[in-house]
Amino acid sequence: MATNDTYKKSVEAAIANPKLSKALHLFGDAYLIARENAYRGLDFEAMRTELAAIKDEVRVRRKELLAEFIQNAEAAGSKVFIAKDTKEANDYVINLAKQKGARHIAKSKSMVSEEAHLNKALEAHGIKASETDLGEWIIQLAGQRPSHMVMPAIHMFKEEVAELFTKECGTRLTPEIKTLVDHARLRLRKEYFNADIGLTGANFLVANTGGIGLVTNEGNARLCATLPKVHVVFAGIHKLVRNIEDAIKITRLLPRNATGQLLTSYITWIRGAVPVNGEQKEQHIVLIDGGREALYESKVCQNALRCIQCGACANVCPVYQTVGGHVFGSIYISAIGIILTAFYEGLDKAKEITRACIGCRSCVAVCPSKIDLEEIILHLRNEVTKDFGMGVVKNVAFKAVMKNRGLFHSMVRAASKLQGPITHKNRSDSERRIIRHLPLHFMDRDFTEWRDLPSIAPKSFRDQFDSIPQQVTNPQYRVGFFVGCGADFVYPEVGVSMIKVLNSLNVEVVFPKSQNCCGIPALYAGDTETGVDLAKQSVQAFTDAKVDYILCICPTCTMAIKRDFVDRLADHPQWSAKAMALSSKTMDASAFMENILGASAKLKAMGTGKAVTYHDSCHLKRGSNVWKEPRALLLASGHDIKEMKNSDRCCGFGGTYSFLSHPQISRQITKDKVETIQDTGVKTVATDCPGCMIMLKGAVGKADETIRCVHTMELLAEALDKTK
Amino acid sequence: MTDNITERFIEAAKRVGAEVLRMNTLQDAVTYIKDTAKGNTLVPETSLVKRHHLRALLSEAGADVFTGKFRNAGELPGAGITFCNFCLADTGTVVLDSTDEEMRLATTLPEMHFILVDPTKILRDNLAAVEPMTAFHQGNEPKFIAYITGPSRTADIERVLTIGCHGPREVHILLVAGISSDLMEN
Repeated sequence: MATNDTYKKSVEAAIANPKLSKALHLFGDAYLIARENAYRGLDFEAMRTELAAIKDEVRVRRKELLAEFIQNAEAAGSKVFIAKDTKEANDYVINLAKQKGARHIAKSKSMVSEEAHLNKALEAHGIKASETDLGEWIIQLAGQRPSHMVMPAIHMFKEEVAELFTKECGTRLTPEIKTLVDHARLRLRKEYFNADIGLTGANFLVANTGGIGLVTNEGNARLCATLPKVHVVFAGIHKLVRNIEDAIKITRLLPRNATGQLLTSYITWIRGAVPVNGEQKEQHIVLIDGGREALYESKVCQNALRCIQCGACANVCPVYQTVGGHVFGSIYISAIGIILTAFYEGLDKAKEITRACIGCRSCVAVCPSKIDLEEIILHLRNEVTKDFGMGVVKNVAFKAVMKNRGLFHSMVRAASKLQGPITHKNRSDSERRIIRHLPLHFMDRDFTEWRDLPSIAPKSFRDQFDSIPQQVTNPQYRVGFFVGCGADFVYPEVGVSMIKVLNSLNVEVVFPKSQNCCGIPALYAGDTETGVDLAKQSVQAFTDAKVDYILCICPTCTMAIKRDFVDRLADHPQWSAKAMALSSKTMDASAFMENILGASAKLKAMGTGKAVTYHDSCHLKRGSNVWKEPRALLLASGHDIKEMKNSDRCCGFGGTYSFLSHPQISRQITKDKVETIQDTGVKTVATDCPGCMIMLKGAVGKADETIRCVHTMELLAEALDKTK
Repeated sequence: MTDNITERFIEAAKRVGAEVLRMNTLQDAVTYIKDTAKGNTLVPETSLVKRHHLRALLSEAGADVFTGKFRNAGELPGAGITFCNFCLADTGTVVLDSTDEEMRLATTLPEMHFILVDPTKILRDNLAAVEPMTAFHQGNEPKFIAYITGPSRTADIERVLTIGCHGPREVHILLVAGISSDLMEN
């Protein structure tokens, strides 16, 4: 497929250009600090919950609020036009320009005008549109599209900008940022004075005043809205809010989340036809649907329209930081871009990028409108799979094999025997039980070139469980262990360690054998049907087991049982109550030990003084909000924790992401993680996720054989052994 | 309490690159403006400008007060001088009813913007602005309200913060007690 090839090439080209990725990493790091400072003393969680509620109410009342907005805007002298699509919107502006004999439009930043390709449409009618936002002007001169919602030219370097400006003005400019900004200031000033029409976007449309709001830093939007005789507002219908209070609440989140500013230099509130040169201005407000109404109507995806376009989901995204916005997006980029592309440009246009999300949930954690971007992306991936398929390997693996638990498990057993010749014979220790090279001809050579892969354990956890002695005479709790595939077949020793620690805390562990894979790999690949089937198998197994709690040592499994089983089985009446009952008593093992058992107080005596660094797995921190607990347990068991930089940044695993869909991107993300681990100088990295272990053991091992990667449960069990 | 708010405002405004000075009298502020401003100076005729005879004071002090229509003051006038409606302490923001076009031109085009602020007009934060902002929008006449927080800025080239993109490069906030306590006038 041509699009597939083009996409692959664009990924490879981006990875071959480390300069951009390096710049985006520096930006991402600086952003996190600025953002944290900007929210100091404020309750981000409460603020975003409130914003989500405001936006949801707007969604429900949108027709009434739109009518109210139109009535108030017209009363203040504005003309309002509702465009069902971007073409209608463009045509309106073209006709208006023709009526006025206008040849020249001065534009400030408007993402929806990018979506509409307005400049090109105007040009076809001999109307010149001058972008006046610095970033937009740069990309207009370069003939490109924005690679970031807030900083459109973030992908360009000052030398390239100097080149573009020099070409445009005919005088050589030095690549100094101050010089270039000063040039733009002088050069663009005449555009406002000469323009017949000024065009701006809108950050909000206030229903009960009929006014619009603009949140800007440079000051060009104020000039565009002031100097020309006609003002056109080009905005999406989803920018509606009920009143000024709602809008002010947006301004408390938007700049903080976009750039770490408490407020941008300018917030401009304009209502109606304000005076212009002794007359009354003509103000036209063009409100564009362009797929938004369909998005509002989609129960699963509608929350995406809570978006206030801060761009934070890109700033924190490891995939964005690796390949940039021109690869990971279309008009809109990164996580929100995937969703908006699907609705505004069509699912076909979005099919590659729906798979480019690694599922780390950084965007979800940082979103000021509390959009569960990952969940919506997963849904879209499922739609893409329905329409375009998921590829042969995944099809056979998920549909034919995994749903059949007996077949799946016996295939894994067989594989553990067959892999002998390719693993390292003389290293029986679990940390060295790895595959250096894969013989499988259908897999890429690149697979083991940069990381070792784990081999399948000689005896799975499920085959070992019955022989694990548990000496708990009068247990405080009976817990069911949901082992998960990683710990079952690759790292069974983690489960064994967990049992040892739990037993020492007077807890008995039960292992329902008919449990199966949590289904997340199938779900992430877009195979919901297999996901539902797998959920039923495990829900039955644990319902029958009648345990006090269900514990996982894989945070993705925890999320699956807590959240996804409930969602997946919501439409199956005989299953949904059972799934909900299990959800409420499922948690990660370290959270159980710390929060239910208060283990760190009981472990106090065990001093080993060993230095470790801790990697927060994406789904543990952002899926279950567990990050203090493993640290408390490690400290209590005598470990010193030396924190690595960005400890909660994704390790690059992402399940099949790193094996099948995007190994090239994974490789880069993992490289960052390995570097931050090495920078600590510590020789043990602990984590609470078998997926992260697969990635880190493999990649850290290739980089430095003396660094050990272990599950927190293993360290706790070792500490226990030492005190005996 | 008021003084605490004033301190917070000063700190926040300075943090975003505004100059903030306490002035004993309006005359001191006029002297400061005359000494600092360069080039033609745009002073829109608002009710407070009239009441305090600001244009006359500036002219007498020797400032180059522009007398024509501001559209004819050139593409880059030297300075704009205004009072304000109110301020926000937490962000260092000045809020200005700019519906009058001369007010907009005087605050968007010049290199420098001088703002005379009565400390009693400083509100706690932008949530406290909901009430006066709503009051501005009673009825349905056209309105243009500007929040100004420090000088114009950009980070569009290599994410490097650069001051003075399309709006004023310098913002000077002069605190003078007793000039106005009405949030609706400027």
